[in-house]
Parts: sequence; structure tokens; C-alpha cells
Amino acid sequence: MKITELFERGEFVVSAEVGPPKGIHVEHLLEEAKTYLTGVHAVNVTDNQSSVMRLGSLAMCKVLKDAGLNPIFQLACRDRNRIALESDLLSAAMLGIDNVLALTGDHTKMGDHPQAKPVFDLDSVSLLHTMKLLEEGEDLGGSKLVGEPPKFAKGAVVSPCSDSVDAQLAKMERKVMAGADYFQTQAVFEPEKFIKFMEKAKQFGKPVQVGIIIPKSAGMAKFMNNNVAGVHVPDEMIEELKADKEKTKAGITGVEIAARIIKECKPYCQGVHIMALGWESKVPELLKQAGI
Amino acid sequence: MLITQLKAKETIVSLVDGKKVFIINCQGCKEVRFPEKEAVELQKELAADGNVTGIITTDYICNPENMKLRLQKHMDEIKAADVVLVFSCGVGVQTIAEYLEDKKVCAACDTYPMPGFQGVTPLEYDCKQCGECYLNLTGGICPITACSKSLVNGQCGGSKDGKCEVDGNMECGWERIYRRLAQIGRLDVLKCPVQVRNYATDDEVSK
Amino acid sequence: MENYTKYKLKETDELVSLLADKDNLFVVACNKCFKEFESIDEPDCGEFEKLAAEQGKTVTGSVKVDFLCNKYHTEKELLDLIPEGTENIIVISCGLGIQTVADLAGKPVYAASNSLNYTGHHGMALTKKSCDACAQCYLNITGGICPIVDCSKSLVNGQCGGAKDGKCEVDCNKDCAWEKIYRRLEKQGRLEEFLNQPVQVRDYSKVNFKVISEYVKSIREERLDGYHGGVHPSERKEFSEHIALERFPEPKTVVISMSQHLGAPANPIVQVGDTVKVGQKIGEAAGFISAPVHSSVSGTVIAVEPRLHATRGGEMMAVVIESDGKNTLHESVKPNKDLDSLTPDEIIDIIREAGIVGMGGAGFPTCVKLKPAKPVDTILLNGCECEPLLTADHRVLLEFADDIIFGLKAILKTTGAEKGLIVIEDNKPDAIELMQAKVADCDNIDVVVARTKYPQGAEKTLIKRVMGRQVPRGGLPADVGVVVDNISTVKAISDAIQKGMPLIERVATVTGEKIKKPGNYIVKIGTSVKELIDYCGGTTDDDVLIKMGGPMMGFALPDVNVPMMKGSNGIIAIDTDQTKEMPCIKCGRCVDVCPMDLSPLYFAKYADEENWQGMKDKNVMDCVECRCCEYICSSKIPIVTKIKAGKNAVRGMK
Repeated sequence: MKITELFERGEFVVSAEVGPPKGIHVEHLLEEAKTYLTGVHAVNVTDNQSSVMRLGSLAMCKVLKDAGLNPIFQLACRDRNRIALESDLLSAAMLGIDNVLALTGDHTKMGDHPQAKPVFDLDSVSLLHTMKLLEEGEDLGGSKLVGEPPKFAKGAVVSPCSDSVDAQLAKMERKVMAGADYFQTQAVFEPEKFIKFMEKAKQFGKPVQVGIIIPKSAGMAKFMNNNVAGVHVPDEMIEELKADKEKTKAGITGVEIAARIIKECKPYCQGVHIMALGWESKVPELLKQAGI
Repeated sequence: MLITQLKAKETIVSLVDGKKVFIINCQGCKEVRFPEKEAVELQKELAADGNVTGIITTDYICNPENMKLRLQKHMDEIKAADVVLVFSCGVGVQTIAEYLEDKKVCAACDTYPMPGFQGVTPLEYDCKQCGECYLNLTGGICPITACSKSLVNGQCGGSKDGKCEVDGNMECGWERIYRRLAQIGRLDVLKCPVQVRNYATDDEVSK
Repeated sequence: MENYTKYKLKETDELVSLLADKDNLFVVACNKCFKEFESIDEPDCGEFEKLAAEQGKTVTGSVKVDFLCNKYHTEKELLDLIPEGTENIIVISCGLGIQTVADLAGKPVYAASNSLNYTGHHGMALTKKSCDACAQCYLNITGGICPIVDCSKSLVNGQCGGAKDGKCEVDCNKDCAWEKIYRRLEKQGRLEEFLNQPVQVRDYSKVNFKVISEYVKSIREERLDGYHGGVHPSERKEFSEHIALERFPEPKTVVISMSQHLGAPANPIVQVGDTVKVGQKIGEAAGFISAPVHSSVSGTVIAVEPRLHATRGGEMMAVVIESDGKNTLHESVKPNKDLDSLTPDEIIDIIREAGIVGMGGAGFPTCVKLKPAKPVDTILLNGCECEPLLTADHRVLLEFADDIIFGLKAILKTTGAEKGLIVIEDNKPDAIELMQAKVADCDNIDVVVARTKYPQGAEKTLIKRVMGRQVPRGGLPADVGVVVDNISTVKAISDAIQKGMPLIERVATVTGEKIKKPGNYIVKIGTSVKELIDYCGGTTDDDVLIKMGGPMMGFALPDVNVPMMKGSNGIIAIDTDQTKEMPCIKCGRCVDVCPMDLSPLYFAKYADEENWQGMKDKNVMDCVECRCCEYICSSKIPIVTKIKAGKNAVRGMK
């Protein structure tokens, strides 16, 4: 089911995220998803996230769909040229997977195959544009599609807490122009920044899901501060994680923090996207605490 | 513009491997870069085995006419060699390989791209000859070369503190573009249509 | 020949829409590069201006520039040309030129051209060969044919199934690279070697942009450090730099030229049959810019006649003396008063009478230099010896350090300059260390270490490097308050004052890969070059080029029966080089290395066209003939010969 329909109905849309394994055994992931993620509206499946090679996003989406979940097919421009991207989009539509999230993708140098050729034939904006073309029954090469064209809920991402938020907004505008229906954001730890961002972003009239990561430890927070673009965990939050190590380890602190952020951001956005990073089991509790 | 770096010593030694070798050094682009010291040292070692029939150090072997003139008086040494080992960029090696068609001609260097001006002082920026200049949309900063991913519709989410995800010392090209556009009052160009690169621009060189 | 021209005007439609919301345009067009240098005017600028006029736009001005991407020159010249009222700058160039202007202008800059799209990087000649700089050269397994550039798919393990009749599926005019590779390997009997190669997988991380960008930064800093331009030829000083000075054996006869300096030749004042002694004046200065000449031996004058001259390409008046081997000193040779008691004018008289001229090669009378028309605050002692191979000044620094300091003090006294700086290149660490120790207690003398770069020792570049002062076009060092003297010259000044000995001998290096036994010698002026070479064991073979001076600025000696002179700092025997002059391909390298910021490519073109006014307009008279342009020229054009012709013609224009 298209996630856009939920936004249209005025729902506060909740999605979570899973990463396929490096290997062909998906039973564990499927079990976790079925156990903990049935309460969410949709499940993102990452596409060779961080340029680390894994089982394909599209195949995993199909498995989740067959299990009764609503998958969002993440599609990155790093590994495929426009022919492969369009072909995969058609494959997804044929399989009934109509939620697609367009990403540029991390550079190949960031992952476990730094020798690989980075493709970037298209980028996130031109991929959205391509999806729109396909919906109109035409491909990027100008040829007509045979039969009824596919329809997608075209997702895109944005970094609201980036240090160059002006440039991010400009890119967001280009994505809207290219056909983005909704946005998921990079993880937010500073609600005030997000709220400020949303004041400007609301002009585009597209639903935005605030991105949430459940912080696992002070160390993880610091690591993200140093290494993850557009993410900043404030010092007081790191202190909070440090305060009671056992409580933090058990995930209680992280869930409290994440729930608080969701509550603060909720009035300003149209949904939440949870990147559990292995803590899928905490998602139900988080949603409960956040009052969703 | 091109620069060269010696291949790994083992690789070069395995190319020669006990055979008679004639060595050509091309220092035409030395002002840009040529690993002169390393090359001389390695050649001394090779010569110590007594298998080097001759060494010449010259320039611009990519210029076939002068290259041929200069090789003339060394043809006997070249004939006596099983391998001609060329210390130059790829253009030089190919030029020699074509001229000495019957000889095994080997490259002792790997060639790296060097951005910018074809004189001898490279530039901080480059032109990839994409054939569809984007500079009008970017305030004169090239998104093909200034962005690691050559993105043409804006930055990715990977920059941190204004630096590229690939190289923490490299400024995000698109943030520079954004600043430049703001500075010259042309942020409106970001509202241009979606850009899709055309890799089919002909290999066109005006005659 | 190929044409690597890098741009063409964008389509009219695109230009019209580009101009739609813009007016008051200033047009900058690059004169293109990597094509035969036939015409100076490229049509693109005019075409664009016409189009702009049709669109009713105001063009505030236009300029055509060579090598627009040469940031140094563009920065220096372009910005002043942009007229008031300009709102937009339109650039017609490849992407490099456009980015250069956009970086500098501070105004909106727009491209009116597209770069032309071709694969790979070309070399420094207009050929079909190119290299993609993949950083993992495959030529060793492909018989020297590049699979990255020549195969449309850049396959590295053999051909695809697409070739038809040996032609590529992408372009039926293009040979399948892998079929070519196969045929060549087959011909060389290397098929098995190829079949045994491991599977090749390209590594796209090899091109490390971080390393490259750091290197670019460092090389830009290095090349632009001190002064713009210059080159780094192989130094090869190891042949002789560690060999101590040796007094060259007494020559049997000496041929002492009356023309060893800039200016009027000296007039001989001895006759055949005269007996002369060491240090005796045998030629009298013939004017203000001239210098006297002295005998370097004691003996008998056996001829006063024109003799072959090493650097002037013909015969010049000379005094030939047969030595008696006794080295009897002339009565005039006696120590002067100590430095404190001598007045500046007395010192200058001593220098003039000693026949001292610039010993770095130029031979300008030193006494004239030491009476500058303008106040001077600094004396630069040139110990750079930037010429490859030569080590004469290096040995003088090491072995006559005290004399050099004495000489410098004398110059400081005559000129009234406050500061003396001894400039030594960083390839002579022993000399630097020694001189630093020697000047440690001199308040007004310092040692300056300069990063090795040719032609550092040229007066104007040296001043720029050390003082950051720019000698104006056509000006002299004194115009910026500086006098520059060579190390050996200063040593000669010391001898003249302390011993009363005129300039009758000098230190010279005999070296080069073709000299059997290189060395540094104290040589009497007038000694035959042939004797010097013979003494050094002769040359290794006959295929040799002998030069007086260094490889860069030295004079080729077709006949070695010429005498050593005051400015002869070395004799080199090097390998010959067979090349022929090819057409200029506008690579821009000569412009990039010229330390005087000139455009040497025009000198070559204009000399061929005998356009002397053009040469004058391009400031040919500012050329210092350092030969950097000729050294870097990828077409092997004898630019300096052409420049000399131009200078002669320009001098004749007056």
C-alpha cells in the first residue's frame, strides 16, 4: 500500500527500517520484523547501506510483503546506471512494491568495496524525475512503456540538522520539483533545529517523517557526531546516556530520549521514521512512550 | 594533465626478470611530476645485474618524430634488449610501443590524472570535458569535478562540517556552489529543471 | 595532426536563453590551446558579440586571452580590464578558463561554450594517443595498446562479442582495441603470456584524489614560491661537487681575449716580443663600460691578433703569451691599505683597475655596478649556482669563505648599503652551514637559503625571491635598491684589495657525463679549453656536445681551441640531442615557466614572420635568455635563438 495514501488520510505515519543480511538467510530478520514491526505503517529496506554489500533490497522487500508487511524499497544511485535503476523500478512495481525511496547513496569509498567503480549515473533528483517519467508511461531514453504505467509513492530524504541547512532546503526543493511525494529525514536529536527546518520546509507542502535513531550508548552518540553527516547528539543527551550505564545498556534511556524527541517534533511533522539499527525489539515500547 | 608514479618494485623486477632491458626515461613533464630519484635508484639496481643494454633520459617521447630521432643512435642497444622499459605516462609508453612494434615494451609507471592547466603548474580545479558545461547553473564551480560523486542536482547528504564524505579535507563542492550562488545573488538558478547527464555527447573535436 | 581544441560555442538557442535576463556583458575569450599556432584570432568571440548585439545586449567590452586557465597570468592581467558598468561576465573557453574567471571575478560568470568531449588525456604532441590516467597501467599485458582508452567498454580481460569485421560495435570506424592487442601480442609471441595472466579487476580507488589534491597544493606553492616560473632540470652536480679545488697546471701559452666583458673591447697595450709579468695590464679599458685585461702568466707576447672567441661566434682581438713558467709577479701587484683605511672611491678604483667583471657569465664591469645611480640598501651575493652540473661557485664558497666575506664588506662600504645577503640554494647544505658559521658575528651580513630552482641566479629573479621586490620592465637592480654580485666576483674583489692581484684566474668546473675525470680547477685566464678537457682525461666518446658554461645558458663550442675567460665558470661535455623543430602546439608551458612573465611562443612565431614590432610589443627586450622556455618546449623550438634575432632587430629599429 502506498504510504502516500496514509498521509492523505491525515495519519501520523510511522515507518521503521531494516537492513538485509550479508548472506542469503533472511529468516531471523523476517522473524524480528514480524514480531516487532507489525505496528508500523511501513518498513524501509536499505540498499547496500553505507556501501557495504548485502542481500538486495528488492528481494527483501518482496519477502516482507509476502509476510504481510508494507515495504519501502530504498534505491541508491551508487551501484546502478539509469538502465538498471529503471529496470529495478519496473521489477518493484511488478511485484507490487510501490513505495520507493530515492537516494544518491554513500560513496563506494565509504564501504567494504572501496575499489568499486562509483556509478552515480543519476542522482536522487534525477531518479525521482525518472520515476515520474515512468509513471507517465515513458522511460528516460524517451521510449514508451508497454501497458499501464506503474505508480509509486516517491520518497526522498533530507537532513534537517545539517550544518548547511540552506543548501539542504534548496536540494529539497529540487526533489519536490522532480516529483518527491514525501520525505524521511536523517536522524534528529535536536528538535529545535528540526522545528526551525520545518518552518521553512512546510512551504513545499509535502509530508515529512522525522528520522529517529534510538541512541544505544554515549559512545555511539559520539561516534555519530564524529562520523555521520547531518547528525549531532547534544552534550546533555550524551551526559544522560552516561549517567546510568545499566539503564542505558538495557535501552531504557535511549527509548526515553527517542520518545521525547518524537513528542517534541510531532506537532510539526506528518510522521516518524525509526532507524532501529538492530534494536527493532525496542520499537513497540518507543511508539508506546511517544504516544503513537 | 598527467603525472606518474613508479609501479611497485616487485612488479618492475618481474617485468624484466633476468632479461636484457633497454630503459627510456621521459622527463618532459617532470616540472609537474616525475619520480626521478626513485627511477634512478631502481635503474642502478637493474644495471648492477649487467642486463641493461642502455639507458636514455629524454623528454616528450609522446612526440613521435623527435622520439624517433632520439632513439636512432640507440637502436643497437634496443635490438640487443628483450624488453624496453619505459618510465613515462601512458601516452609515452603507447607511442614507444607503436614505434617498436616488434618489441616487448613495458610501462614502469602508473599514470595519475592531474587537474587543470596543461602548462606545468596544475590548478586546484579540473574540467572533465563533459561536453555539456554546467558552470552556468553552479556559479562557475564545476559539479563534475568539485563533487566526488559528480552530482548535478545538488549535494548529497554526506557532507559533514562542509567537508566531503570521501575526503575530510575536501570541501563539499555543492556547498561551495551554494555559497557562490548566494554571493552573486543567483540562488534562483537552483530552480532550473532536473539535470540528467548526457553521456552520449559525441567524441567531438572540431577540425 | 590532431587538434585538441577544448571548446566550442554553445548552440544559439541555449545562448539566447542564457542572455534573456542578462545585460551589460563583458566577454572574455580564450585563444585556445593544443592546436597548431597558426592564427592568433579565434572567431568565437566575434561570433558571440554579434549574437549579443542581435539580442539587443550591451557589451561593455571584450578581451581575448592566451591560456585563460593560467591563473597566475589571468589574475595579474584580467581583472583590471573589466570596465565599469559590467554586470555579467561571459566566458568563451573550456571549463578550466571559465572556472578560473569565476574564481577571480566576484561577478556572475557564465559559460558561452561547452568543452569538447573526448576520452583520456592527451600528451604533449598532437597525436591520437591518449591515456586515461587509471593509475593501474595495463599496457604491460596488452602489448602497449591501452584497453582503457582504445576499447569503448574499457575492458581489461579481452574483447567483448561486439566487434564486427574488427571494428568496434560503438563506432564502426574504430578498430576493436582487443583485436589490435591480440594481433600485436601474437606478433611478439606473447599470447601465452597473456593467457596466463590472472583475471584483471579494476581498482577504482587507485586514483586517490586526496593525494592528488594535496600534491597540487604543494606543487602550486613550490612553483609559485619566490618568483613565478622557472624549472628544475636534473642537477647532476654529484659529478664534481665534492671534488676539492686543484690548481690547473701552468699552460704553455695563454690566449687572452680583449673581449671578456660587456661593453667595448679593451685596447691591447703590448706588442709582439714584449716581456710581460703576472698581473701586468696588457689591455686598457676602452670606455666607461669596458674593463682592462691583465696577463695571467710571465713570459713573452708572441701574437696580438684576432683569435677564435668562445661565445661571440667569431674572432676577437687577443694577446697571445708564451709562458716562461716562472710566474714572476708584476711590480704593480702589491697589497693595498686595509679596508678601514680605503675610501669607497679608492675601492672602486682598485676594482676597476683589476679588470673585475661579473663572473657569473654576463661580464658586466663590476665597478660600474658599484656606483649605482640610485641609493642601494642591500647587496645580494649570488651563490645560487642554479645551472645544472656546475660546482665552481660551490667550491669557492667552501674554500674561500673568508675572502667572500671580505669582498662583501668592501662592496657594502663602496655602496653604503646596510645589509649584505649571501644567497645559497638548498642543494649546497655544506656551504650554507659554513657560511652561516662565518657570518655569525657580522651584524650586517646574513645567509639566505633559497629552494633550488632555475634560474634563481638571474638578477631579477633573485631579487624577487629574496627581497620580494620587482625590478621594473627595462630597469636595473638599483631601481629597487639592490646590487647583485656573483660569489666568484666578490672573491676576485678580495684578491684585488688584499693581494693587489687583478683578475687573472678563476675557478671553473670541468664536468658532464661525457668527461672521464670531472673536477674543479683554478684556471688561468687564457688557458685553452682543449687543454682543460685533455687534462680531465678527455671525453668518453666522440658523440659529445661541449659547452662553455652550464647546460642551460652555456655556449656550444664547435671548436675547443678557445681560451677560458673571466666569465667561464665551467666546461661541460654532455650527450648530444637529436631533435628537429616542430610546429608550436600552444601547450602554454613556455608561458608557465618564464620567470619574466613573458609569452615566448609569440617570439618564436613573430621571429619566423619577421614581425619585429610584434616582438617589441610583447616585451622581448625583457627576456633574460635563461632558456627555460626552450627547455620546456615540447616542440623543440629554438626559441632563444629566435629571441636573440628579435632583440637585434628591435635594437636596430631605433
